[in-house]
Amino acid sequence: MLITMEELPGIIMRSIMISGTATLLSTAWSLPLTIKLSLSKHPLKESLMGILNSLVGFPTVLVGLLLYLVFSSSGPLGMLRLIYTPQAIIIGEALLITPLMMSLLYEVVCRSVSVYWELAISLGASKRRATWFVMEQTLPELMIVLLMSFSRAIGELGVALLVGGNIKGFTRVITTSIALAIEAGEFDLAVFLGMVLLTMMILLATTVRLLRAWLEK
Amino acid sequence: MKRLSIALATAMIIVSLVLSYLSLSLTPKAKVVIRVSTTTSLYVTGLLDHLAEELKKRYPEVEVVFISVGSGAALELAAKGDVDVVMVHAPSLEKKYIERGVIVNGAIFAYNYFVLVGPSEDPARVKGLEDIVEAFKRIYQAGELGHSCFVSRGDMSGTHVRELMIWNMTGLNPKGRLWYVESGTGMSKTLMLADNLKAYTLSDIGTFLKLKKEGVLKNLVMLVSRGSLLINVYSIHLVNPSRYEVNKEYARRWMEFILSDDGQELIASYGKDKYGVALFNPAKGRSEELKKMWNLLSEGG
Repeated sequence: MLITMEELPGIIMRSIMISGTATLLSTAWSLPLTIKLSLSKHPLKESLMGILNSLVGFPTVLVGLLLYLVFSSSGPLGMLRLIYTPQAIIIGEALLITPLMMSLLYEVVCRSVSVYWELAISLGASKRRATWFVMEQTLPELMIVLLMSFSRAIGELGVALLVGGNIKGFTRVITTSIALAIEAGEFDLAVFLGMVLLTMMILLATTVRLLRAWLEK
Repeated sequence: MKRLSIALATAMIIVSLVLSYLSLSLTPKAKVVIRVSTTTSLYVTGLLDHLAEELKKRYPEVEVVFISVGSGAALELAAKGDVDVVMVHAPSLEKKYIERGVIVNGAIFAYNYFVLVGPSEDPARVKGLEDIVEAFKRIYQAGELGHSCFVSRGDMSGTHVRELMIWNMTGLNPKGRLWYVESGTGMSKTLMLADNLKAYTLSDIGTFLKLKKEGVLKNLVMLVSRGSLLINVYSIHLVNPSRYEVNKEYARRWMEFILSDDGQELIASYGKDKYGVALFNPAKGRSEELKKMWNLLSEGG
């Protein structure tokens, strides 16, 4: 077997760590950008959102290739020596999920602002209190957005394969392991890994949903 | 709202930086890392991991890591300067990169055979033929009559280059014929496709035996497996240290280990217990002969 059972916990941990970090990193720019965008009255706003919406399903393998060309030793960011490191996958996945995250956030934020912000202000709240109120109301939905973005990140293959290189014990994650298992004809292992990924996502999604229900109570 | 979102963004960036630092600590600490880009057949058979473990016994500070892609891509990674060593099986492609000064000090370290595989019914009647060119001609005729299909890798891999070379020698051009299917993917998926289509295809023997053993292939059997045109020569090259920033010293040690008596012995015995036959033959003792073959093949693509 190319991938032994002893390696599995490491691979799963690495996947969660990499994709989880990528999701947080992406939120760091997606959330402020989306808030700014939703408050703006710029005429090109809708076209910009249109572009972001259409980028949601962009082929991950192409994102991977473009990032490879950027991070490669002979590429423009080659001196950072990021190619074939977990960090490269983190940055790649963070960029990959940005359109999805911004598209989802945009709807959430627009609704919150138009409903809760106006409501708070009209009830005589200070701007500061109104902001808090909006944040509070948005939080449960924000969690769902994070969850979906994380799901996209952990389930993608192209970026992890091209900028990570599927290096044993270093950049090998669940999806690249599945690809390798298929290449080696070890279908049982591939299916098993798929089940692990699915189980993980179901557990996580259920937890988030329960948490949301509890928050909204 | 502005200030809050800036604070939030900063907090998240800090958290993700900490996390990515932690994910660094998930990785094994080795003082020296040698990056090897390799053709898939050497990797999926498990040979390279096996050799790397043996090297680690000798040099515990060294970690050899593999990026397993097709031969064409493996050489391109070298041209970008992202690896220290290349291990591939496409003489005609290798020659181009040697001429461009990307790779140096090439040496043949193993060989085996390409095999023509096809459905056990063998509609083109090629089983047992000594001459692969004749076999391809028969497949062409059977294809034209609608009796059989042929699946080509179509991805400029070492196997694909060899297949094109054989077609070239038949004087026939299968490209564009209805029975000539281009998979454009790796060896395993190509074999799976051929298996489902009950078609013929050219494979390296290692991947075929591995998939056969895993029970993935139901219809395909080995039909033609000998002849000098089917010799599959695996070479190891160092990425040119005068052009790229590479780990010269340790790359050389890895190469020397592969070519040493011990390394060659490990290659010779690898897979015997699992597959009944050795998947790769060591180059030792036959290097002159193989070098000649390599030269011939490097002209052929």
